[in-house]
Amino acid sequence: METLQLFKILPEKIYFQNIPYLPGFRKMVGWNLDFSTLTRNIHDSLFSFFSPGLASAAEMVIIGLCFLTFFALLGLILVYAERKVCAFFQLRLGPMRVGFWGTAQTFADFIKLLLKEPLTTKNADKFLFNLAPFIVIVASFMAVAAIPFAKGLHAVDLDIGIFFITAVSSIGVVSILLAGWSSNNKYSLIGAIRSGAQILSYEISAGLALLTIIILTGSLQLSEIIESQRTGWWIFKGHIPAIIAFVIYMIAGTAETNRGPFDIAEAESELTAGFHTEYSGIKFAFFFLAEFVNMFIVSAIAATVFFGGWMPFHIGNFTFFNHLMDFIPSVVWFFGKVSLIVFLMMWFRWTFPRLRIDQLLTLEWKYLMPISLVNFLFMAFISLEGWYF
Amino acid sequence: MNQVVFYFLSAVILVFSLLTVTSSRILRAAVYLLFVLIATAGIYFLLGYNFLAGVQLTLYAGGIIVLIIFAIMLTGSAGEKLERPSLNKFLLAILISLIGTVTSLILFFAYHSFPVIGNEIPATVKMVGASLINPGDNGYVLPFELISVLLLAAIVGAIVIAKKATR
Amino acid sequence: MIHIPITHLISISTLMFFIGIYGFITRKNLFTILMSTELVLNAGALNFVAFNKYFYPDNLQGHFFALFIISVAAAEAALAIAIIIAIYRNFKNIDAEKINEMKY
Repeated sequence: METLQLFKILPEKIYFQNIPYLPGFRKMVGWNLDFSTLTRNIHDSLFSFFSPGLASAAEMVIIGLCFLTFFALLGLILVYAERKVCAFFQLRLGPMRVGFWGTAQTFADFIKLLLKEPLTTKNADKFLFNLAPFIVIVASFMAVAAIPFAKGLHAVDLDIGIFFITAVSSIGVVSILLAGWSSNNKYSLIGAIRSGAQILSYEISAGLALLTIIILTGSLQLSEIIESQRTGWWIFKGHIPAIIAFVIYMIAGTAETNRGPFDIAEAESELTAGFHTEYSGIKFAFFFLAEFVNMFIVSAIAATVFFGGWMPFHIGNFTFFNHLMDFIPSVVWFFGKVSLIVFLMMWFRWTFPRLRIDQLLTLEWKYLMPISLVNFLFMAFISLEGWYF
Repeated sequence: MNQVVFYFLSAVILVFSLLTVTSSRILRAAVYLLFVLIATAGIYFLLGYNFLAGVQLTLYAGGIIVLIIFAIMLTGSAGEKLERPSLNKFLLAILISLIGTVTSLILFFAYHSFPVIGNEIPATVKMVGASLINPGDNGYVLPFELISVLLLAAIVGAIVIAKKATR
Repeated sequence: MIHIPITHLISISTLMFFIGIYGFITRKNLFTILMSTELVLNAGALNFVAFNKYFYPDNLQGHFFALFIISVAAAEAALAIAIIIAIYRNFKNIDAEKINEMKY
């Protein structure tokens, strides 16, 4: 009912629309950008039906269910995309049999994973072995909760937003270490130790690259970071240091998700599958899902901080152009940017050869971290002098 | 709602801190400690100190615990079972902890009239940042600088201590 | 937050503190001793925060104390782990009672 009313307003607003650059126009195109009306309607109707305590509980359940669905969909789509992108890079077709162009392939794989027997190795620490997949999935769940998907479509808008996401996603390392150790398998243990060293190191330069942009935004809150890009995205407004920061963030982000040229933690030719060698069935699915969701999180943060999140492409105060861009809904902008960056990460994975562990640590500690520290100072200087747009 | 969350977090803290000090497997103890620290971060969130909670999550849960687990694996002691404490020690520890707990709790509960001052200020990131580099009243620039020197010293010290002796 | 009495918060931090003390006395493995120390430090930080929130919400002294406690804990953990690794390298052992070369 609420949504119906929402759309009834639509033609009238179009009808009364003036020449695009007149004031008040933004209010009129609000219908296709703003989810806050919808969420507020749901909120109000819930609170009118139930008592406040019950209503907030119901809200939490609804949001949780939404995220669960989103997780499952995201996993399915990203796995399919990965296989297709890989196939096209190698001049193959990839999955084609199940469904149109193999679109149902990942779904079939998912059902297969659910039906498999969850095995446990002998003499393994059963408690830790079963705990590890849950920690990794909870960590990525909490990180996704703080990401703004579109205007008004934001589960929690913490004032420490981006700090919270990096903090929560750093807990995922624990689960990798635990999984590797409790599998009671030397390949798993080596993979876990490698992965732990890698993620711990690359977190530093990822954080510094994000901080470089935080100097300009002056806030950690994600909604404010996006709002500060109303006149242009930071990668353009912050010019040279912002581009350096973006490159560093992409390298560090790829390393943090154990992907691409940095997948020594699960290098197939050396370690079978690294820390999740012994996992099967639904527990393996958790690790697999978390890996892809982490890729989404890294891309979403990059899109939000460097490319304005759901903010359409604006150029300064060039009002006509900005309003033209506003016609594309914010969800499309956000997911468009994210899928481009995800594609970039897949491109890395299927293009570069794998690094050795010593090369990997050298890259971080001898190159990326000093560069990002200097870049940080450079950005602080630029911000002080006001040499950004 | 807040109360439910608070008592849940408190239960988590109590149960898992007990398990941390009594568990006979070292890696499990580390994981229980992780739960305690995350629950503490949750209490900070409830109290409205978001930045502190973020620091707690990053430094404690993401940093120290990972470091401890990593070091446990490096020393190869992850699998061994810890022996139970001897009876004397156990009794001594129980006695000390009980006396301490009971004394402090009696003191707290006996002191009824805690003064409460109004004018709550929200601990936003901006406030925290401004106070950290403020040399005037309510500013913490001196401890901030001291901490940074301490951390630098800790980095250098850790590297020097853990480095293999070259002969 | 007003619905939760401060005594409950302080009880939790007190219990956590003395559980940490208990662990500190009974444990022999250096890592578990370190973990008990972390519990004690964490309880202290929680206490500072609780007193700040309930009694002096007009400034953030307890908050900053907790922040500094966490940073000191980080420095302490890093050094302690470095020392433990050095001990392990020399004695092939991290049991606090078996490292007694300096005793005589």
